[in-house]
Amino acid sequence: MVWIYLLEKEFKQFFRDPGLPKMLISFPLMMVLVFPFAVSMEVRNINLVVVDNSCSVTSERLIDKCVKSGYFRLVEKSSTPERAQYLMDINKADAILTISSDLEKQLAFGESLPVGIKVNTINGSKGSIAAGYLSNCISSFVAAENSGERLSAGNHIEVSTKFYYNKYMDYKVFMVPALIVIAITMITGFFPALNIVNEKEKGTIEQINVTPIRRSTFILCKLIPYWAVAFFILSSCLFIAWIVFGYTCAGSIFTLFVFTGLHIMVTAGLGLLISNYSDNAQQAMFMTWFFMMVFMLISGIFTPIASMPAWAQAITYLNPLRYYADAMRFVYLKGSTFFEVWYDALGLFLIGVAMMSWAILSYRKQE
Amino acid sequence: MYFIEARNISKGYGSFKALDRVSLQVRKGEIYGIIGPDGAGKTTLFRILTTLMLFDNGNAEVEGFDVVRDYVKIRRIIGYMPGHFSLYEDLSVEENLDFFATIFGSSVAAGYETVREIYSQLEPFRKRKAGKLSGGMKQKLALCCALIHKPSVLFLDEPTTGVDAISRKEFWNMLERIKAGGVTVLVSTPYMDEALLCDRISLIRQGRIIDSGTVDSIIERYPYSLLAVSGERIFPVLKILRQLKGVVSCFAFGTEHHVAVCKETVTVENIRQILVENGFADCAVRNISPGIEDCFMQLAGKE
Repeated sequence: MVWIYLLEKEFKQFFRDPGLPKMLISFPLMMVLVFPFAVSMEVRNINLVVVDNSCSVTSERLIDKCVKSGYFRLVEKSSTPERAQYLMDINKADAILTISSDLEKQLAFGESLPVGIKVNTINGSKGSIAAGYLSNCISSFVAAENSGERLSAGNHIEVSTKFYYNKYMDYKVFMVPALIVIAITMITGFFPALNIVNEKEKGTIEQINVTPIRRSTFILCKLIPYWAVAFFILSSCLFIAWIVFGYTCAGSIFTLFVFTGLHIMVTAGLGLLISNYSDNAQQAMFMTWFFMMVFMLISGIFTPIASMPAWAQAITYLNPLRYYADAMRFVYLKGSTFFEVWYDALGLFLIGVAMMSWAILSYRKQE
Repeated sequence: MYFIEARNISKGYGSFKALDRVSLQVRKGEIYGIIGPDGAGKTTLFRILTTLMLFDNGNAEVEGFDVVRDYVKIRRIIGYMPGHFSLYEDLSVEENLDFFATIFGSSVAAGYETVREIYSQLEPFRKRKAGKLSGGMKQKLALCCALIHKPSVLFLDEPTTGVDAISRKEFWNMLERIKAGGVTVLVSTPYMDEALLCDRISLIRQGRIIDSGTVDSIIERYPYSLLAVSGERIFPVLKILRQLKGVVSCFAFGTEHHVAVCKETVTVENIRQILVENGFADCAVRNISPGIEDCFMQLAGKE
């Protein structure tokens, strides 16, 4: 009876909050409909400037091929290298393609490539991706020219790429499970912490403490609504991704829920820890921020863990988001079963047990 | 057998001693006042007696239950109203009352008789959110929530701080009626005038209880004669009076000075004569009986 009443109070407060119910609806919508586009690592609309010294049919064809690839936007054909450099200096050009005057001759004799590439690396990843795309375009152009003219080449090796588990290398599919991870972490870890600290700050917890209610009961009743919200968000994200983009989970949805349940245990422990160590909302917010930033940056959500230095990789083993994000991607994209990603479950479980024990030990019934 | 009994309770925050060997005896069915200035340790004492805080030394019992060992039992029989408003501001008046009744395992219907008189004034606003009530109404709601589970003892921590004079009077009238219903009331206040409304009081200062008993018995123990001096230029007089032989202490009390003098050695005439000699012929001097505030000043000065 008391349980039902405590839960009723929490739900009432949740739905009376000016922001939370709106967030409940907008969070999954944003996560699936807006953010996958925004956080895409695909680079498009690279501003290209060409210095065409050859002015031949072949050079025209090369430029045409680059522009038609869809990644580049031709800013202008500059007559001098100085003019091209100037455009890059004023940030109008991301890449400069310089074609030498003897392009056709060089192609015919098969000597070294007669073009130069210059990229703006103010934005490092954009620069390197631009350079990659550009050299891809050029080499495939050269290959096409050669195969057209000289079929004799016996040692000609053609490389074709096939993407597994994400056939069209669609970045959005890749981000959907990762964004679910972020949403669930926020909702189940940090909101309850702020809620508990809020009761501390307002002094209402004082009034609760003199009642015969056990504090564990009280806190558990605070966490449950957020768990319900977390599963609601997980379901609606999956549903929206299916309706709007036609993405479906390759593995079992049940496994996704199991991992979410495990992750909730971790975030609940973290939330309680934060609420134990902070007396007001500012402190809780600051701690929340700190953990959220660290967890997200070294989770493998945005940058692959394998490309981090060894010491950073070692740190990721302490990050619950690493395991959860990894499992979610494996199950969602690849269709892994629970037993194929058992190590993620183990990692989450161990961190969860550690956090929970610490939270319970650090919290005292009486001051 | 006392209803609430504390023996030599000490509590320190680091090197600061918030309570120093505090003892207290409260009888069943009385209004007992803990009276002292801010920072005297009133709230700390209340938090210990309501089982919210552990202490370093001593022991305390409420209705025979030890505050540390039997805290669960104590929490069933007490009502506590902390110094600051601490109900849910986003729940309505009705919902707050319902909530607190339920978590004590009771119901509004079962406890309604206890709070009927106070709650009847809130009834027109029962759908309103608690955060939107006026100060006086919030206080009444807090009192209702502390009483709805029919506690046998009510702890009120500075209930009248920051409340206007009329509401304060009204509040004390409510306490009288609660007492008439058989509830023991322990109340703390920084206002000395409220001491007269309690059956018995303890004066507390810097973590120590400096005197306890009925207001009359404390006043009776006042060891000096008390004179009141008033006049036009009252402040220079203070300096002269303090230098006089036989004057124990002299404090400004509003527009007057209260002068404590040793009995029999100094009289009204002595003082009047000295003031005239010093050019303060317009000052009036008269004998007065001490109030609780004079007692507090005297006891505090003794420490």
